[in-house]
Amino acid sequence: MDRSEQLSATQEEVEPFLELTPELVQQRRSQGRIIFDRFMRNRAAIVGAVFLVLLFLVCFVGPLIIRSDPNALNFSAASQGPSFKYLFGTDSLGRDELARVMAGGQVSLLVGLSSMVMAIIFGVGIGAFAGYFGGIVDNLLMRFTDVALAVPLYLLLFVLSAAITDHSPRTVIILIAAFGWTSVSRLVRGEFLTLREREFVLAARTIGAGNLRLMFRHILPNAAGPIIVSATLLVGTNIILESVLSYFNFGIAPPAASWGNLVGDGHDYFFSAPWLVFIPGLFIFLTALSFNLVGDGLRDALDPYMTER
Amino acid sequence: MGRYIIRRLLQAILLLFLLSLGMFLLLHLMPGGPVGVLFNPRQSGAVKAAITKQFGLDQPLIIQYFRWLGSALVGNFGYSFADYQPVLRIIGQRFPATLELFTYALLFALILAITLGMISAVRQGSITDYTLTSLSYFGISMPIFLFGLFAQYIFGVWLHWLPTSGTQTYGYTFDAFGQYLDHLSHLVLPMLVLSLTFIAGWSRYMRSSMIEVLKQDYIRTARAKGVGPVSLLIRHALRNAVIPLITVVALNFGQIAGGAAITEGIFGWPGMGSLFLASLDARDYPVLLAMLLLGAVLVIMFNLIADILYAVVDPRIRYS
Repeated sequence: MDRSEQLSATQEEVEPFLELTPELVQQRRSQGRIIFDRFMRNRAAIVGAVFLVLLFLVCFVGPLIIRSDPNALNFSAASQGPSFKYLFGTDSLGRDELARVMAGGQVSLLVGLSSMVMAIIFGVGIGAFAGYFGGIVDNLLMRFTDVALAVPLYLLLFVLSAAITDHSPRTVIILIAAFGWTSVSRLVRGEFLTLREREFVLAARTIGAGNLRLMFRHILPNAAGPIIVSATLLVGTNIILESVLSYFNFGIAPPAASWGNLVGDGHDYFFSAPWLVFIPGLFIFLTALSFNLVGDGLRDALDPYMTER
Repeated sequence: MGRYIIRRLLQAILLLFLLSLGMFLLLHLMPGGPVGVLFNPRQSGAVKAAITKQFGLDQPLIIQYFRWLGSALVGNFGYSFADYQPVLRIIGQRFPATLELFTYALLFALILAITLGMISAVRQGSITDYTLTSLSYFGISMPIFLFGLFAQYIFGVWLHWLPTSGTQTYGYTFDAFGQYLDHLSHLVLPMLVLSLTFIAGWSRYMRSSMIEVLKQDYIRTARAKGVGPVSLLIRHALRNAVIPLITVVALNFGQIAGGAAITEGIFGWPGMGSLFLASLDARDYPVLLAMLLLGAVLVIMFNLIADILYAVVDPRIRYS
């Protein structure tokens, strides 16, 4: 009896035991499925996620259904409270506040998301190089982030955005991203420092993977969890930053709407038309809250050491 | 210890130098920098030449920087573009109001954060703990300017409990005590608003640090020796649990300063934050540059204090 016959014989004997019953299938879950299940058990995070989905629908699909020009003036209907015709009322120039909140939401969400993407790309790049190569590269890059961390961030952000007279979303995105990457790069550097010593990296190196391949194909996916979490939390932070800047007239410039400058505009009529402050204000708050809830939910779901409850 | 502090100080000075250079260049190279403020199309050539000479704008930027740094080091930050007063005097006038707001807000935030964090830690998993956790989510997600506006409307406009701006009521004459009370009532809302975000974050921190400490052996030993629950918490656990919080507070200084600027702007509190916002509107670069530098000095100083404090209160940390 040669070896292959031996193998097939044992396989036949073992086969019946391996038959997959439905119960067994249910227990074998993919990594993604485990994370998803864990996330779904966090009620607060679900509420946050559902709110965000609804919010995106309202802001991006809403204007296609409720066709109301956010910049159309109508002085005969100025400063009206919320009604069936104007769900969120109108501002001092008779513009439909609902249309403006939807248009402003597009800008605010876009600024929050794209500045997050920029900050993550920059932060991951710097952190990866610092953590992977160590030595002088690490020292230089980390001193650079040290300097960036020592600046009183808010104050410098204010000064820069006041000085740059071009108040387009693009400028605001770049400015906010320039302030968000430091924490990301520190986080990624820490992950890379520990991951680069692991056996799978050595194994990949042995079969001839180059530095870039090692960094971005092998190590980076293993650091994905914390990066995803900090990306989620960063969107909330960035939306708040944008709204603070726009509220003080240093962010998105009128007539373009953003939640921040809607609150700023409304503040002039705070006593006679408080809804103009409260409605966009609540949108900012609830969006930031939802991103925080989802981020914390992801943190728990992605943590491999988290015991299943 | 002495050598450690000296080395950290030298590092701090180097960092500060780099920062001031970076901020100076950034502000001057930006479109609409000081040059954009000083000149306008209606000025004659002679006026422009005079201004160029007066502010040394014909020199290379790096020379301009060292001239600015040289006079800044002896306390001369130049003159405000807005009202031609010395920058240092303008900032000095605003300092007391900010210090007052800062002190009250910081004390209030610390006391409340420590108390709430301890309650959460001791009653871990209870309804109180969950309530405080949910509340802290609200606190962390609420931008300071929004909380300020909401508080103004609710307590000032709607309930008529508290004044919404300024430092005193005009048009009334009070006796000395009445005037003080009036002043305090103006302080309440800005103080609450400024401290809220930090109470939320710090109480979370205090909670986890307290939970860590309560697990330690020495706590069990103390309990076994018959130390009462209150004394155990306050005299034994609190001391060690507060150490990490103090460093976090020091490290948060930059954020507190930003929050203070926003709070002062919203409540019309006549401190350095209001000055900062007004200078932004006027693009008063000498004032802004001085305030940024002051902010950086304070951030670096508080970082240093945090590190040293940490080393002093926790003998396990080595200075290497």
